[in-house]
Amino acid sequence: MLALSLLLAVTAAGCGGDDGGGGDEQAATDTGEDAGGEPQRGGTFRIQTDAFEWTGNFDPTGEYLGTALGFYSSLLVRNLMGYRHVGGPEGNELIPDLAEAEPEISEDGLTYTFKIKPGVKFAPPVDRDVTSKDVLYAFKRIGTPSLVAQYGFYYSVIEGMAEFTEKGGLSAKGTNEISGIETPDDQTITFKLTEPTGDFLFRLSMPAAGPIPEEVAKCFMKAGEYGRFLIATGPYMLEGSDNLDATSCKSMKPLPGFNPNQRLIMVRNPNYDEATDTKEARENFVDRWEMTLNTNAQDIFDRVKSGSVELAHASEPPEVIREYTQNEDLKKNYHSDPGDRTWYITMNLTQPPFDDIHVRKAANLIMDKEGLRRAWGGSVKGDIAQHIVPDTMFNDELEDYAPYATEGDAGDVDKAMEEMKQSKYDTDQDGMCDAPQCKGVLHVTRTTDVWKAMVPVIEESFRKIGIQVTTREFEDSYTVIQTVKRQAPVSSTPGWGKDYADASTFMVLFDSRSILAEGNVNYSLVGLTGEQAKEVGAAGTTSGIPSIDADIDECNKLQDDERLSCWQDLDQKLMEEIVPWVPYLDANADFVTSDAVTHYVYDQFAGEPGWAHIAMDPSAG
Amino acid sequence: MGRYVIRRLLWAALIVFVVTLLTFVIFYVMPPGDPAIRFAGKQPTEATIREVREQLGLDKSLPKQYYTFVERLVTGDAAECPQGVEGCGWPGLWISYDSRTAVRQEIIERGPRTISLALGGAILWLVLGVSIGIISALKRRSLADRLAMGFALFGISAPVFWLGLLALFIFGSEGLGIDAFSTGYVEFSSDPVGWFSHLVLPWSVLALLYAAFYARMTRGNLIDTLGEDYIRTARAKGLPERKVIMKHGLRASLTPVVTMFGMDIALLIGGAVITETVFNLQGLGNFAVNSAASADLPAVVGVTLVLAVAVAVMSLVVDVVYAYLDPRVRYS
Amino acid sequence: MAPERGFQGETLLDVRDLKVHFPTPDGVVKAVDGLSFTVHRGETFGIVGESGSGKSVTNLTALGLVNRKAAQIEGEVLFKGRDLLKLTPGELRHVRGKELAMIFQDPFASLHPMYRVGDQLIEAVKVHSNVSKKQAEERVLELLGAVGIPRPRERFRDYPHQFSGGMRQRAMIAMALTHNPDILIADEPTTALDVTVQAQILELIDHVKREFDIGVILITHDLGVIADVSQTVMVMYAGRAMELAPKDELFRKPLHPYTWGLLDSMPRIAQKGTRLLPIEGAPPSLINVPPGCAFHPRCPHRFQPCDRERPAFADRGGGHPEACHLTIEDKRRLWAERDARRLGVAV
Repeated sequence: MLALSLLLAVTAAGCGGDDGGGGDEQAATDTGEDAGGEPQRGGTFRIQTDAFEWTGNFDPTGEYLGTALGFYSSLLVRNLMGYRHVGGPEGNELIPDLAEAEPEISEDGLTYTFKIKPGVKFAPPVDRDVTSKDVLYAFKRIGTPSLVAQYGFYYSVIEGMAEFTEKGGLSAKGTNEISGIETPDDQTITFKLTEPTGDFLFRLSMPAAGPIPEEVAKCFMKAGEYGRFLIATGPYMLEGSDNLDATSCKSMKPLPGFNPNQRLIMVRNPNYDEATDTKEARENFVDRWEMTLNTNAQDIFDRVKSGSVELAHASEPPEVIREYTQNEDLKKNYHSDPGDRTWYITMNLTQPPFDDIHVRKAANLIMDKEGLRRAWGGSVKGDIAQHIVPDTMFNDELEDYAPYATEGDAGDVDKAMEEMKQSKYDTDQDGMCDAPQCKGVLHVTRTTDVWKAMVPVIEESFRKIGIQVTTREFEDSYTVIQTVKRQAPVSSTPGWGKDYADASTFMVLFDSRSILAEGNVNYSLVGLTGEQAKEVGAAGTTSGIPSIDADIDECNKLQDDERLSCWQDLDQKLMEEIVPWVPYLDANADFVTSDAVTHYVYDQFAGEPGWAHIAMDPSAG
Repeated sequence: MGRYVIRRLLWAALIVFVVTLLTFVIFYVMPPGDPAIRFAGKQPTEATIREVREQLGLDKSLPKQYYTFVERLVTGDAAECPQGVEGCGWPGLWISYDSRTAVRQEIIERGPRTISLALGGAILWLVLGVSIGIISALKRRSLADRLAMGFALFGISAPVFWLGLLALFIFGSEGLGIDAFSTGYVEFSSDPVGWFSHLVLPWSVLALLYAAFYARMTRGNLIDTLGEDYIRTARAKGLPERKVIMKHGLRASLTPVVTMFGMDIALLIGGAVITETVFNLQGLGNFAVNSAASADLPAVVGVTLVLAVAVAVMSLVVDVVYAYLDPRVRYS
Repeated sequence: MAPERGFQGETLLDVRDLKVHFPTPDGVVKAVDGLSFTVHRGETFGIVGESGSGKSVTNLTALGLVNRKAAQIEGEVLFKGRDLLKLTPGELRHVRGKELAMIFQDPFASLHPMYRVGDQLIEAVKVHSNVSKKQAEERVLELLGAVGIPRPRERFRDYPHQFSGGMRQRAMIAMALTHNPDILIADEPTTALDVTVQAQILELIDHVKREFDIGVILITHDLGVIADVSQTVMVMYAGRAMELAPKDELFRKPLHPYTWGLLDSMPRIAQKGTRLLPIEGAPPSLINVPPGCAFHPRCPHRFQPCDRERPAFADRGGGHPEACHLTIEDKRRLWAERDARRLGVAV
């Protein structure tokens, strides 16, 4: 049950685990210096998790969760553009990785040309230089329906991608090429886009777009197969890669380094040449990585404490957080950093009384956000969210923007009632919702502890402005709110994390073109048209719903600073003119390490530990 | 006897099929979320969902899906096993939606873990429970009886989860720090001593829970049996008291215990979830729960099948043992 | 004091003033309250009484099958001169089944249902004699033959449920005879059996008594059973002896009103149409035994001292001991009237 909601949660929320994570915001890089001296090379770094969660069994084409993205990006796969794998806004910035330098971008913003670094090799048994064709092959896989790419929509802007997919991708009979990708020589690759796309480089940094050798991958034409044969280009590879007999499809047996239910073991890739990389991106101190399953989360933390495991990849129970934040000796082993993830209460724009913007604004003003955060475990879990996109993604430029700020974030009855008075549901304008629609409003939530603890806070807050909500807990609460025809008026179920550090990855939640009858993530139905309502089964107020589709398109064309401020404006517009959410928490990602971990770094891109920079005492374990 | 066993086996096979069919119907009628949508990504297109549905075989009708399932079960699934998947074969249980591993392989890998846990625990609790039961029955209302029954009550009431964590707290890294008792499973073939030592705590926890039931049951049955006339006969013969109880008393009072024992072992094959979780044994119980939670139909059906077979086999074993123990059953 | 009845055989069992009391939360259960009798070799000693009269407890006590911790036992049970009550449980075990053997009421329940009859008998052989399995088997086959089980070699491997009731009781008797005991105690050996089988079993008991030259204690609630095979009869009521007499004397000249009641309630096959006259009232609870004569509340002839004074168990001139305050003249008169009335009704 828990696993189901967890899985649904991550499916919907993209990167990272479902726990809010959180803790005191310590500068992650400080911890390395506590141990003193230069980080040492070597050691076997043992990670334990209480649940392995994959969406594509470690095939980069189909893998969408932060855990896998972190390992790929840091250790296994070198994309054209990559990251420094450090914390803060710096960790969200792109740097060339497989590409020799920043690409050449045409005036119209439609053509991107990359030169690939010489000397980057595939791990054994492929043992050859990575060429532009290997990058192209990754895109062909993304365009192949049977491989079920999880975020193929990011690449639909590439010319000819849709046609390629239409013909069946790699499974097509006869030749099938993507017209928008050219590989004039082994070092050069050019992408032609159908429209200017300001975040295209971010999209190229996603692991599905990393090079894949056709000679191995061609044997695996169904979703979830290639992951057990992944051929690395990074500093590490799956254990057993060097013993893989790749002479034919039949001769290949799954690598011992990966089993989706049991383990992920990575060893140094002998073909990795340090000279092709930079120390600011990867330092590769550790010799060997072992991630294994331990179904007893408590035992994981005990083992980390006693030193038989280096890092716990599991949600910390409240006692563990308390212990690590209060005990001076343990503090250095508790790492909590902004997770680029917003938790919020979503309001359905078609359902009364939330079809009235004044009610939605009043909801923002009355909500006891501090009370909600207490239900999560208090301030260690993250900052109170005041708007939609997490602050780190805006370089902290909207840090002070708080349109519905109240004293102590506890909600403000007077301000909320003032707002409510303007609503048609407050028939006598006394600041209380008094129409029949204000009674018995269905509130959808989860069955898990944190959500249960939030229920009284939410009910009490709404009651103060006359809205009486009836809470129902669902084990599959995500399915409930993702199915439009169930018309859930309000839900505290969801959270959303970025895919990459561009606000577009949040704005998709308000794009009317992404509304689906089932599996819909635009829970508020922003931009829904009457016609669309019929199609997807939406009822209630289906006319006059504001749309921000045009704003999204506008921002998407822009680059760099212009783009950033465009998104910032749109975030503000959403908060003031649409008001689809009550955002309440910018969740942290927190990890606990053992004393043997001498140098800890956070990877802002994946919301995971920065594996490429972490160092340990090699004598441990 | 031979014909009886064969007839029972055929019945068992039929029941197993009915159970799998029911599992199918339940999943089809009440799916815990559409697996296709779950595996289709964050913003799935209709085409992607269709593709996933097809790959998972969910585009077919229920009867067709069930037919395919039975066909694979009977003929094996090695021929259609996708590239890169290990462990297809007979009986074919197909591929887990979730991990895309062969369900058969999972069961082969996890089965020994769960069986080790269940059998070891069962032997321990049987010995423990029956001994305590005998002592209590013989020393009725004595201090020993009260202590034993108090222990039984503790065992019955203490949650396994709590007992497990307590055991780990005492022996694990936080307490005595005995590495040999730590969580996890060690293959018997690679390290028999490690296999044993890592199972000692889970066995004990399981045994503590079940021993209580067995102690109470043995005590009650033995007290009843000792009131029987044939026990008086045995004493009148001049048999030593020890022999009266161990031979004449116990035999009659243990027959109901045998039935319970068989069923308990069978159910543990699919049900020692909490013990498996606490001690990180990664057996069939964990697999069953995770599969059910993630709507992983092939995995759920596979585990259900194993459980059904375990129950069928154990009930057969119980009947045979029962017939051995009680000639009245054998000859009627 | 056990009155000597002049029986010819050697005295095997001499019970003297036996008391068996069980303290319970509700009060003391006086199961046996001052009982004396003797049993001789070659004698069938019948003990008769309603259920709850203490007749079984007497013998279980003798065999040491009464929980000594739960009971207060007084008196002496002299078996061939040794006081069984003074033996340790271990010593007693060697007497039990070897020198003193017992068979029980319900042969269906008295054999262990899960072991072969032959094996249960072999076990009985081996308990007290150090013989090989083979020798034990031979002995068992011999015994089975002796108690009239046809084709013993085949039946040897059967389970109790494959035996009829009579066969089972025969097997029980065979078991009891295993070690040539001195005394066979048969506790309601025929109650659970068909009438025709009853006669066969009684005949068998009589036969083995003579064949093996032993003493038999036959416990029953049925005077008819006693009538066929006993030489001496003791009538018990509420844990006490009421009357003890040679069989013929008891049937012809009973002296105790309770015995009269028993005789009246005894069906006689020979006299069809005889009205059965059950004794009115119910046997007393052994916790609250009436003061004085325990039988007085049910006694139609009770008079002044009966409810206060416990009558001694003694020969009041009637030729055998009994426990009733009536004078011997009254007893003879009352019995004569009663007998005549009974027979008169029968005519």
